[in-house]
Amino acid sequence: MLLRCRIPLAHFELDIDVSFNARVTAFFGPSGSGKTTLLDAIAGLREITEGEIEINSHTLFSSARGIHQAPRRRGIGYVPQEGALFPHLSVQKNILFGAERNQYIGPSKGITVDHVLKTLEIDKLLGRPVTELSGGEAQRVALARAILSAPQLLLLDEPLAALDVALKERILPYLARVRDEFGIPMIYVTHNLTEVLTLADWVLMIRQGKLVAQGIPQEALRSVQTIAQLDDERYENVFTAALVDSDAPAGRSRIRLSSGTELFIPYLSQPDNRSFQIRVSADDILLAIQRPIGISAGNVLKGMIKKIEMADGDAILTVLAGEDFLVRITAAAVTRLGLAETTPVFLVIKTRSFHML
Amino acid sequence: MKIGRGTKTATSLLLASALLSFVPVVACADEILVAAAASLADVLKDIGKNYQSTHNKILLTLGPSNFLARQIFEGAPPDMFFSADLAQMDFLETNRRLEPGTRKNLLSNQLVIVVPAYSNLAIASPKDLLKPDVKKIALADPAAVPVGVYTSRYLATEGLWGKLKSKIVPVLDVRATLASVESANVEAGFVYKTDAAISNKVKVVYEVPLDNGPKIIYPIAIVRDSKKKDTARDFMNFLLSPAGKAIFKKFGFVILD
Amino acid sequence: MIFSLETWQITIFSLAVGMASTIVILPFGVALAWLFARKEWPFKSVVETIVLLPLVMPPVSTGLILLKIFGRRGPLGAWLYERGVEIVFNWKGVLIAMSVMSFPLLVRSVRTSFAEVSLRLEQIAATLGASPLKIFFVVTLPLAYKGIVAGALLAFSRALGEFGATILLAGNIPGRTQTLSLAIFNFVQTGKDAEAFTLLGITVFLAFTFVWFSEWLLRAGKKA
Repeated sequence: MLLRCRIPLAHFELDIDVSFNARVTAFFGPSGSGKTTLLDAIAGLREITEGEIEINSHTLFSSARGIHQAPRRRGIGYVPQEGALFPHLSVQKNILFGAERNQYIGPSKGITVDHVLKTLEIDKLLGRPVTELSGGEAQRVALARAILSAPQLLLLDEPLAALDVALKERILPYLARVRDEFGIPMIYVTHNLTEVLTLADWVLMIRQGKLVAQGIPQEALRSVQTIAQLDDERYENVFTAALVDSDAPAGRSRIRLSSGTELFIPYLSQPDNRSFQIRVSADDILLAIQRPIGISAGNVLKGMIKKIEMADGDAILTVLAGEDFLVRITAAAVTRLGLAETTPVFLVIKTRSFHML
Repeated sequence: MKIGRGTKTATSLLLASALLSFVPVVACADEILVAAAASLADVLKDIGKNYQSTHNKILLTLGPSNFLARQIFEGAPPDMFFSADLAQMDFLETNRRLEPGTRKNLLSNQLVIVVPAYSNLAIASPKDLLKPDVKKIALADPAAVPVGVYTSRYLATEGLWGKLKSKIVPVLDVRATLASVESANVEAGFVYKTDAAISNKVKVVYEVPLDNGPKIIYPIAIVRDSKKKDTARDFMNFLLSPAGKAIFKKFGFVILD
Repeated sequence: MIFSLETWQITIFSLAVGMASTIVILPFGVALAWLFARKEWPFKSVVETIVLLPLVMPPVSTGLILLKIFGRRGPLGAWLYERGVEIVFNWKGVLIAMSVMSFPLLVRSVRTSFAEVSLRLEQIAATLGASPLKIFFVVTLPLAYKGIVAGALLAFSRALGEFGATILLAGNIPGRTQTLSLAIFNFVQTGKDAEAFTLLGITVFLAFTFVWFSEWLLRAGKKA
């Protein structure tokens, strides 16, 4: 996708010039940085002073050549922040609203209604009035509606922003499923780090209407400097893992990461043969300079400090223990333990600190 | 939104009745429209009934004389104009809206002073209005409404206008004058004799003698753009006939000869 | 209270012409309200002001302007008169006076209703492939229709109560152009209070019913 545009906004000018080509691209940045405006521009809902927008070599907009394709012809599925379900239509009518669109553009051929309903688990909701849906159900319906209009691109504007933490954790897997099942390229706007790390293959970091960085999420987002520019300050470690075995009475399952490192995570009641993602917060990892004994934590990993970054009384350490782990402790702890780069350390992580994605 | 059958039926009925409600009027062949001041409503209805039994149909459109004059000026349909004062008729004549030679001064009226029916004020002449217990006097707008204009001129010739001016409460029209007197918001008011008859909550205490009083004139004329001048002339003749004059007299109007 | 044949005839005439005038202005009012709510265009504020004028000017002034236009000697009136059509001093004049005076109320109400329909919904409908016409009939109108009906009822009530413009444009001809308001005026002027109060009672009852129903609809619309 080629995205170049200049749009004057209330407090700054949105000025973006970038091209990218990934399954899921995240637009990451604090609220008010112009991300929603960008989505509106891509969908054709917004005036652009000057710029070009192309998908798959197909021009949606060009100020130079005087092209402006109407929103209804762009083949873009938009899931806005508020969901925007039609309140006077039933769930079924909402979902099928765009289904008569004749042009099948892009990889969305062959998506059936049943497939979408099952994937998003909304088949039981069809007859319900839209106003009776819960937040999570409404978001899934909005997603289904967008997918079923056979788009060549999906735009999602902070789809989980209005949901509480528990709900977020429940819906995130659905989004991952959509990415994996339907093969429609997605642009995902968020200011939440977890979502970027979980879903995106590529991230554009936008602040005050300008692009400040782009790249693969795990790398682009690790720098403290970058993160300090953004509002959200949760540091998450995200790993891809495969199940080894499970032990119900013991309450845990054993998994293996791509580097071969084995970890214990809470018992998985529905084991899957596919690989899955787990995450653990940098705040939930302890450091020890000696191997601890007699503690309850189920995971103790031997590793070495690669990097220490200090910011505002916090220390963010990158520790190599088979994989790179981000750990956050206080500056006082660093001084007290005499930590430095290349210091050998042990990572102590509770089994229950790992969460499924 | 579904419109219920009940609503549809009701609507059709209403529309049908509306159309039916003025079919009889439309069905008549020769009828003329007379624009007349509201104060002439009753007498003209009576005259109309008498006229209709032998001739054509009379339709009335009623309103303040200045409105009516304005409408006729803009080419509205009335065939005849019966004004409450000369100014409006002059206006139309100057602007050539009247059929030449048809203007007649037919009626006059008598100015009277009224007080609330139960009032004990002794008013035997306009001079008594100077008394301190007469605090407010109601009068239809002396700048625009005929009865107000006539009254102010009359009081001026009597040398009283300057002194009474501060007591005068200008109101919208004759009806408002009567209403103010009826409710005792004012102690006295000036109206025509024919108007005073409308209300039984006021009483006449003084009738301005016709020779002394202002020359009140109700002129009548045929409108130049009228398509029914012959019928109009016929009606005019009826008004001027002894039969017509008798009806005017019955209602308290003064006939000018 | 006196309920004579005359009373019924006046009431039904007023209701019929009032309803007709509301039906006549409805499509124009809705279209214009939509243009006001959703679009920007040159001279929009000028048109907004013109539409508002009958609400702000004394009805008699509006009536005078209409008379100047539609009277036999007026630009439009003369043209129509040559073709044998007369607007003034018959029910058509009443219809025009009522329509002009109630139009601003309709436009205001409907405009507010349209503005309350979330723009986002219409935008999403567009991204889902809906044409502007489909968006209007499938999204905007169903969500706004309660406000439209309420606006129409309000306009109808205004039409029923209309006096100044009506008396100037249509005259005050009993049996032909006399509405409830004009009849009340007549009866008051000639001291027939009983008749006047009867008609007043009818007018108040009608207006009360319609305005109450209109408010009820608006509240029901908000709950949806």
